[in-house]
Amino acid sequence: MFKKVLIANRGEIAVRIIRACRELGLETVAVFSEADRSALHVRYADEAYLLGPAPSRESYLRADKILDIAKASGADAIHPGYGFLAEREDFASKCADLGIDFIGPKPSSIAAMGDKGKARATVIKAGVPVVPGTEAVGNMTDDDLLRVAPQVGFPLLIKATAGGGGKGMREVRSLEEMPALLQSARREAEAAFGDGNVYLEKLVEGARHIEFQIIADSHGNVIHLGERECSIQRRHQKLLEEAPSPFLDDELREKMGSVAVKAAQAVDYVNAGTIEFLVDKDRNFYFLEMNTRLQVEHPVTEMVTGVDIVAEQIRIARGRQLSYSQEQVQFNGHAIECRVNAEDPFNNFIPSTGRITHSLLPTGPGVRVDTGVYPGFEITPYYDPMIAKLIVWGETRAQAILRMRRALEEYRIVGVRTNIPFHQTLMDSHRFMGGQFDTRFVEERFSMDAAASESRQAQAEIAAILATLAAHKQAERSAQIVRRNERDTSNWKWVGRWERMHR
Amino acid sequence: MKYVTTVDEKEFEIEIVDEHHIRVGDRLLPVNIESVSGQPVFSLILDGKSYESYVYQNEDEWEVLLRGRQYQVKVEDEREKRLKAAAGEGVAEGGEFHLKAPMPGLVVTIPVAEGQEVKKGQVLIILESMKMQNELKSPRDGVVDRVRVKAGESVEQKQTLLSIQ
Repeated sequence: MFKKVLIANRGEIAVRIIRACRELGLETVAVFSEADRSALHVRYADEAYLLGPAPSRESYLRADKILDIAKASGADAIHPGYGFLAEREDFASKCADLGIDFIGPKPSSIAAMGDKGKARATVIKAGVPVVPGTEAVGNMTDDDLLRVAPQVGFPLLIKATAGGGGKGMREVRSLEEMPALLQSARREAEAAFGDGNVYLEKLVEGARHIEFQIIADSHGNVIHLGERECSIQRRHQKLLEEAPSPFLDDELREKMGSVAVKAAQAVDYVNAGTIEFLVDKDRNFYFLEMNTRLQVEHPVTEMVTGVDIVAEQIRIARGRQLSYSQEQVQFNGHAIECRVNAEDPFNNFIPSTGRITHSLLPTGPGVRVDTGVYPGFEITPYYDPMIAKLIVWGETRAQAILRMRRALEEYRIVGVRTNIPFHQTLMDSHRFMGGQFDTRFVEERFSMDAAASESRQAQAEIAAILATLAAHKQAERSAQIVRRNERDTSNWKWVGRWERMHR
Repeated sequence: MKYVTTVDEKEFEIEIVDEHHIRVGDRLLPVNIESVSGQPVFSLILDGKSYESYVYQNEDEWEVLLRGRQYQVKVEDEREKRLKAAAGEGVAEGGEFHLKAPMPGLVVTIPVAEGQEVKKGQVLIILESMKMQNELKSPRDGVVDRVRVKAGESVEQKQTLLSIQ
C-alpha cells in the first residue's frame, strides 16, 4: 500500500487532493512550473519539485519529468487531478510499468472511453442509448466528414475525438459553414490535446446536460452517487453545477443511475468517473461521454451525499472495497457550485490576468470554497481561468440559492476581474430560480443587464455617489502634491523623493 | 465642490459640502466613505445605510461594481463641464483602427497579410490565452496596414497587434 502521493496538477484541485492525503496521513509531493513557485499547492505539500517553464507543454504535461520526480522522491502513487495528464492512457500505463499506483482507472478503461468514437461503440454494445453521430468510423478526413454530415443532419456538433471541456468543439448549422469550422476545431483540438481528430454528433436541441458520478472498486462493486445538473454553460464550458437536478424525479434518477453503472461496467471501470448524459425535453436521455477522472464539480456531490470522493479514490487505489453500498448512499438537501473565473462578464468574458491584491472569502453556514489563490498570487495567461469554486449547501434548492446569493455578495477579489457578477445576475434570474433552463440558456436567453432594471435604477444614484466621492478623493490627493507649504516633511526631503520617483 | 455625475444617461448633481456631508439634488446627506485597506474597495455609509463596492478608474470614466451590477460613471467638475459646453465638443472619428490585444497571450496565427482588404467581422488574429483560442475580428471593412506581430509571439495586454486603414 502506497504512503506517498505525487499530485501531478496545480491550482485548486492540487490543493483539494493534498487535503485528502493529509487527512488520510499520506505524504504529499507537489510539482510546479516556474510561474507557480509560490502557489498554494507548493506551500501545502510535504515536498515540492520544479518541472520547468510556465507553459503546460514544458511543465505539467511533461510526463517523463513527473515520473522521474516520482522515482527520485520515492512517491509510490500519483494522483493526476483533472486536465493535464488525467486522461492519458500512456501516462497511466507508464506508472504501472514503474510500479507506481495511478489513482484513477486502468489504462484500458481510459483508452476505451478516451477515444470518443470507441466509447460510443462500447456503450452501444452494452445497451446504453447514444446521440446519433459518426461513431465507430475511426478518424475521418474533412472530405469524408463533409460527405456524411447531411446524413447526421444539421444542426450538428464537431467534437474532438480526444476531447473534453468543450475544446475543439464547434456547432454547425449548415454545410456551407462547415469547412471553416472543421479547420478551427482541428486547430484547437491539436493545440489542446495534441490530436486534431474530430467526429460529428447530432445537436440535441433544448437539451440538458446531466451527469452521474460513479465510483467502482477493484472487487467488482460499482455504485453511483447521483447526478449533477451542469446545463449552465457558456461556449461549452460549465459555469455552475448543482445536485440534485431540478429536472429529475426519483424514477428517472434510478433509471439513469443504473444505465450509468452499466456504462462503467462495460469498460471494466475502477475508481471515480463520470457518465455524462444529454436529456431532451421529453426526458429521453443519451450517453454523451465518460470522463475517466475526478470532475471539477465533484464537491456538489460530496455536499449532498457526505462522501469524500477524493478519499474514496485513494481507498480504491489502495485495493480496498467501497465504503458504501448503493443502498447506503443517501441524498440530503441541495448543493450549488459556482465556478469563479478570472474573466470579465461585462466585457464578453475576456480573460483577466494580474496580481490578486485583496481577497476576502465568504464563510458561514453551508459555505465551502475550494481555491488555490490568495492575495499576492499572480494570475497568468498560461493556465485555465478558474481561480476558485464556491459551493453552498441548503436544505432545499431555494435555500441554497439564497445562500449562494449571500456568499457571492461577501466574496471580494481585487486585482483581476471575475465572473462573480455573472453568478449574482444568474441567482436573480427567474428562469434559473424556476429550474427552467437548458444548455443554451446562458448564450440565448440571459443577459447581464436584463435583470431587474428597477433595482438597477435605484442603485444608480448610489453608484454615482461612490464614483463622485472616489473622484473627489483622488482630485484632493493630486492637489496635495502641488500645494506648497502644506507638506508634512521638509521641502528638501520632498524634492529628494520627487527626484527619485522621476529618475 | 460641485460635480455633475452621469450614470446610465442620467445626470446627478452632487455637491461635496464638507468631509461628512454631501448634497444630492436638494437633499443634504451625512456621508462616511473609507477605502478598505487602500484597495479599490470602498465602504460607504450614506445616511445610515451601508454599501460596499469596487470603484475603478478607467481612462476618463469610473467603473462602479455594486451588488453584482456594473455602472459606467462619468464624473465632471461642474465648472469644467460648463467650460467644455462653451467650447463645443468636436470629436473627430479616427481614421485608423489599431487592434490591441484584449489580454496577454500567444499569437497562434495571423490569417491576413499587409495590404489585404478585410471585411467587418473577418478574423484578423487568433490569440491563445488561458487555454482558449480567441478570434479577434475586424470591427469594420478596410485594408490591413501594418502587422506588428508574428505567429508564435507572446504579446502583452493592450499591445497593438495590427492596424486597419
